[in-house]
Amino acid sequence: MSNNIKYWKGEDELNRNPQFLTAQKNEFHDDLPLDEVFNEDAIELQANRRDFLKYFGFSVTAVALAACQKTKIRHAVPYLVKPEDVTPGIANYYRSTCGACSAACGIEVKVREGRPIKVDGSVDSPISQGGTCAVGQASILSLYDNERLANPLSNGAEQTDWVAIDAEITNSLKKIAAANGKVVILSGSTHSPSTLKAIESFKTSFPTTEHVIYDAVSYSGILDANESDFGKRALPTYKFGSAKVIVSFGADFLGTWISPVEFSKGYAINRQPAVAGGMSKHIQFESAMSMTGTNADFRFPMRASQEVLYVATLYNYIAIAMGAKQIPVPQQGELAGNSIKKTAEALVKAKGTSLVISASNEVEVQKIVNGINMLLGNYGSTIDMVNHSNQYQGSDKKTAEVLAGLKSGAIAGVIFYNTNPVYNHNSKEWTEAIKKASLSVSFASSKDETAALCQYVCPDNHYLESWNDAEPRKGTYHFTQPTISNVFNTRQAQVSLLTWANALVAPAKDPFASKGIFSQKLQASPYYNFIRANWAATLGSDDAFNGVLEKGLYAVAADEGVASYTGNVEALASYVSANAKASGVDMVLYQGIGVRDGAYANNPWLQEMPDPVSKVCWDNYVAIPKAMAVKLDIAEGDTVNVKVGDVSYTNVPALIQPGQANETVAMALGYGRTHAGKVAGSVEKGFDTIGVNGYAFVNNTGNRSFVAKNVEITKGDDNYSLAQTQTHHSIEGRDIVRESTYAAWQKSPNAGNDKPATHIYTIWEKPEYRKDGSPNHLWAMAIDLNACTGCGSCIVSCSIENNVPVVGRDEIRLRREMHWIRIDRYYSFNSTEGVLTKDTEIEAADGKGNFDHWQNVNVLHQPMMCQHCSNAPCETVCPVLATTHSTEGLNQMTYNRCIGTKYCGNNCPYKVRRFNWFRFNDNDKFDFHFNNPLGKMVINPDVTVRTRGVMEKCSFCVQRIQEGKLKAKREGKSPNEVQVLTACQRACPSNAIVFGDLHNPESEVSKLHKNERGFTVLEEINVQSSVKYMTKIRNNDSI
Amino acid sequence: MFPNMISRNLKVWILTALMTVSVSSYAQDKPNAENGKKLYEANNCGSCHALDKKVVGPALRGVHTRRSEEWLVQWVRNNEKFRKVTKDPDAIALYNEYGGAAMNIFENLTPANVLDIVEYIKTAPEAKKAVAVVATDSQAKDDNTTLYILLLLVAIFSAILLVLARVKNTLKRVAAEKDPEELAAMNAPKKGFFEKVLPGKWGKKNPVVLTLFAVAIFGGYAAYQGFQFSITEVGVQKGYAPKQPIAFSHQLHAGQLKVDCKYCHSTVEESKQASIPALNTCMNCHKGVQLTDKYNGEISPEIKKIYAALDYNPEAKPGEEYGPNPRPIKWVRIHNLPDHAYFNHAQHVKVGKQNCQTCHGAIEKMEVVQQHSSLQMGWCIDCHRNAQVDVASNNYYKALHEKAAKDIATNKSKSKYFAADGKVKLTPAMNGGLECSKCHY
Repeated sequence: MSNNIKYWKGEDELNRNPQFLTAQKNEFHDDLPLDEVFNEDAIELQANRRDFLKYFGFSVTAVALAACQKTKIRHAVPYLVKPEDVTPGIANYYRSTCGACSAACGIEVKVREGRPIKVDGSVDSPISQGGTCAVGQASILSLYDNERLANPLSNGAEQTDWVAIDAEITNSLKKIAAANGKVVILSGSTHSPSTLKAIESFKTSFPTTEHVIYDAVSYSGILDANESDFGKRALPTYKFGSAKVIVSFGADFLGTWISPVEFSKGYAINRQPAVAGGMSKHIQFESAMSMTGTNADFRFPMRASQEVLYVATLYNYIAIAMGAKQIPVPQQGELAGNSIKKTAEALVKAKGTSLVISASNEVEVQKIVNGINMLLGNYGSTIDMVNHSNQYQGSDKKTAEVLAGLKSGAIAGVIFYNTNPVYNHNSKEWTEAIKKASLSVSFASSKDETAALCQYVCPDNHYLESWNDAEPRKGTYHFTQPTISNVFNTRQAQVSLLTWANALVAPAKDPFASKGIFSQKLQASPYYNFIRANWAATLGSDDAFNGVLEKGLYAVAADEGVASYTGNVEALASYVSANAKASGVDMVLYQGIGVRDGAYANNPWLQEMPDPVSKVCWDNYVAIPKAMAVKLDIAEGDTVNVKVGDVSYTNVPALIQPGQANETVAMALGYGRTHAGKVAGSVEKGFDTIGVNGYAFVNNTGNRSFVAKNVEITKGDDNYSLAQTQTHHSIEGRDIVRESTYAAWQKSPNAGNDKPATHIYTIWEKPEYRKDGSPNHLWAMAIDLNACTGCGSCIVSCSIENNVPVVGRDEIRLRREMHWIRIDRYYSFNSTEGVLTKDTEIEAADGKGNFDHWQNVNVLHQPMMCQHCSNAPCETVCPVLATTHSTEGLNQMTYNRCIGTKYCGNNCPYKVRRFNWFRFNDNDKFDFHFNNPLGKMVINPDVTVRTRGVMEKCSFCVQRIQEGKLKAKREGKSPNEVQVLTACQRACPSNAIVFGDLHNPESEVSKLHKNERGFTVLEEINVQSSVKYMTKIRNNDSI
Repeated sequence: MFPNMISRNLKVWILTALMTVSVSSYAQDKPNAENGKKLYEANNCGSCHALDKKVVGPALRGVHTRRSEEWLVQWVRNNEKFRKVTKDPDAIALYNEYGGAAMNIFENLTPANVLDIVEYIKTAPEAKKAVAVVATDSQAKDDNTTLYILLLLVAIFSAILLVLARVKNTLKRVAAEKDPEELAAMNAPKKGFFEKVLPGKWGKKNPVVLTLFAVAIFGGYAAYQGFQFSITEVGVQKGYAPKQPIAFSHQLHAGQLKVDCKYCHSTVEESKQASIPALNTCMNCHKGVQLTDKYNGEISPEIKKIYAALDYNPEAKPGEEYGPNPRPIKWVRIHNLPDHAYFNHAQHVKVGKQNCQTCHGAIEKMEVVQQHSSLQMGWCIDCHRNAQVDVASNNYYKALHEKAAKDIATNKSKSKYFAADGKVKLTPAMNGGLECSKCHY
């Protein structure tokens, strides 16, 4: 082993639970139910002669009859008129804007024969910078969701005719206007200039209309603080790429906070030890173990309810160092080891290139954070308040006013656009309030909790069917163009608003006027005309507008200057003092990386994606610290009862989360949907609800608080097995991950990686194709453990690209997940005294009884997929040569040869082979998307859909390799000019994965394979894997 | 400018005069209707004209009564010049009448040729209605009825024979009851079946062995038939030639008319699919080519199917030809690869420079397309082992080619790259063309 750190993946493994250890040795999770099968009454082992003849005769006849059908006639249906740009068999790519969340990443949509099949980041977009998050990746499946509303609803009944519905709604609106009643459009954050203008047009026709923005997960705290400090109610643009010291108070900025893809791209730059100006330092204070926390160099447990005290303390330390006035508070919120003081010192040292952020929704906390950044001179360098972000704009205060207005009858009409307050706000009050409105309309694309209560549901298009624009950052415009015509009888919300306001714009010119046969079929969307008219001043000509569409981006020069700060932090002293004390247990309500705020909960890919930290799929749970678990006698598989005020849930699954701060628990939002659909749950359709709704615990008075105080936790009387992938493969104490520190790396670049494996024997000769100068390719991969944040975007991207089926919760419990790439997460203890390395040390620490070391764990994320070993152990054991090696270094898997012995899976040292226990397509037992014609439209036509009984695994996206090679061959380019990006690499928001040709000395992968940090996993068994990992370097020598 | 115009008009006048002279000089030979018919067909006049029906151009019967011979010669040979230079008012009027659709220029025809064609039109007999269509229909029917009736009759007669033989035997036995001698003869040991059937000593062999032998022969034949049946069941469909919704003839288009394969299968060099052409490709020609001459003034029924699919009305006003109800054509797929096999046309046609015929056979001779190759994996592999690919010109294969050339330089004829003609031999197999992931993923 190259270092002495003891890594572990789960508590069972750490404590060497004997049951767990035996289970690890077994090939199957449970014994095969052979006895059950043989004991069934239907099967008599002693059959008599007559029965034998009966069955024999029947089967022979049945087979004979079955064989009598004629060969199936297959049809080929060509285009009537081939669209000029479409070549069957070749994908088109269109730039657009992701509509999955308000971050509005620029994307590139892959379209095959008119059907979008993949979404990736646009390299030109300053937001996505070519990356995507898991939600963005998965959002394409929501387009093919057969539970979307196929028609508008009027009082619950489907109506195919929009005209009738429009007439009714317009009538209602006119009646309200005549009575001088108020109408509210309650929308999610929207920064589309054209959408805002459409809403303005609506307001012109119905002047009593108010537009209120509401976000399920609120940023009102920051917005209000900025309004008061800078006179501008906006989020700033954070530049993580310029920050050398990052301090985050509970903000999961790599996972869910504001614009995670943009932040990950920036963050990754300075996480390289070799970066100019030195590696950045990341310090995280938090209660729950967030994904961002797992990437921190220093992570300190913090009670969320006391955040204001910690922030004020940090402010005061910095104020002392900078010679500024302190906040006059008597109490200091220092943590063990003077962590806050040291953090302050680090920040001051890096002033101007540091960044302090907080996820708190308390205005006072955010004001102090603003003050800290002001003291450190970060405005203008790492924080841009001039060219601010538009990504979230919701106002909790105004939302509460809408609720009150509806209840009192002051608001007569309400239109929900991209909002679902019945689910994610005060459910009971909204239910009553909506019923009181004389007009209630929802633009939801499915009958969600709110839409179910509305008189009218006018389903909005999916963003891939829509025209739109967006301004995620001041002066940065993205464009959305449809990549498919409407799947259902839906209509863009903007068109609905304009129709009701009678404000549709006549087209300047019909773009389809000269398209021959199509002229009678196609009509430009009315909203397209509206957008064109809206951009007429800047992008008047067709060329200008189409050029911008092609690029997906229009940017105006950034404004210079610094926003003027008028904040007064000292005035907050009394607030700090009043909120300094904590009592009871805190509960942090956070967004999971997969389903986030719950809007996409019905997307099976997101449910199946393991949480980056806990590796739990398909459920939410109460994460509790070890100390609490010991106190309440809770073990894995137990449940807890949670009570906050008069809201309570019983028997919620509990999970002992290393890193969870003592006296705090955490629960993910986004679950407990009652009107989502077959995946996340639907009362109406009779599907079980997944998890419990954490929004019930959110305090909705004032700025909504996502930290619940005085939580009562008791042990539940039930057991529940969470579907967790983390313990499915054990590491058996082997040297799989390597890490070192920045100081050690500066001394020697092979730090942590300096003990090469000994005793390497081989019975194989070096194959011809591996030798230098071979005219072929040699495909290989390099993964940077420093860059990987564990976000899981690659997992979803891989599943989409390679038609990996969704298996569901029960199969994952049986360790039968199908993901071709997984991200292994390793814990190691890291107490204030240093890293605990030996079992005896860990036992001694456990013996102290306070379990402080369980709050301080280091985490390492390691993406793991087929390593394409040159001496592949799987290949030598296959009895039918279904897995073989190619001369390009690929470990090939041939499904049609495979007979399913699973020997290869057994012999694989990396446990990356997956067995198809079932036929997942057309199988109603797996009721996700593979069993309906619409859901199947997302299938990649270049990859085989595997059937039951075969092994499968990562192919290095061989279909993309072949495509890239063919392109070079067709154009007569040299092999070194072949461009191939694997699906995981293409999706990665932190550039952690590099793929390429080792025979090309100029390729990035060749260079990385020679990097001193590079190691191959299990080098000592000499399988000659093609994937090199870069040793993790932590900048944690000293704060 | 003025003199210039005069001179141009003069030239035209002289030219016309000359032409008239030449026409009149030829006119002394009697126009030949037979030659005219040949010319009519060779120049595809029927593409745009019918004798009795207005198609793209006017109906031709009686054209000699409407126009003078000189006029016709000038119009047919170069109608553009006739309109624009000569500015013949009738010609311009005709052009405008047909919505500005210009007739092709036929300067290859001599004036005498034109008159031959006119003569043919003059003498052409009035065709009987719709004979051809009916004929093709009855031919197209897959007629096995007679065979079935015959088989049924054979079966019935055999059954009757069997019954009669049985009856005869019984009667014989009843008759013999009265005569003990005859009864004894009847009950005496009989010759076995094989003794009766087979000559000499062959009949005296063990009947069990003989039976087994017979079963083996018949069984073998049955098994062979079964195997043939089963391989079609698993997708081996060599020779599969289903009837298509439109009787498109590759023999006519690719063979006779020599239309380039890539004209219709336009994506063959860039995509994995050669792609069946969209109907707008058909319409490039068949907007004009309607074969009215062959179908008695009617549009060919097969071409009508294209129009029906597009909901296209050739007689509608320009801009309104396409109706609102197009229905795509469901062609029957002939070449069906299993889903787990990936094949790319561009790789083989553009990069590997293979002819279409290598896999598809003499497609230009097929009236009805049939599957020429088995499309089994063995067939693919055979070619990948043996096909010699020209890669020297492709930069992608440069290093590979150099390596092969070097190998020949050192190992001479022992090199695996050594071809009989001394040149470099490279097969797909030598560059990983037999590896699983080249086609299966």
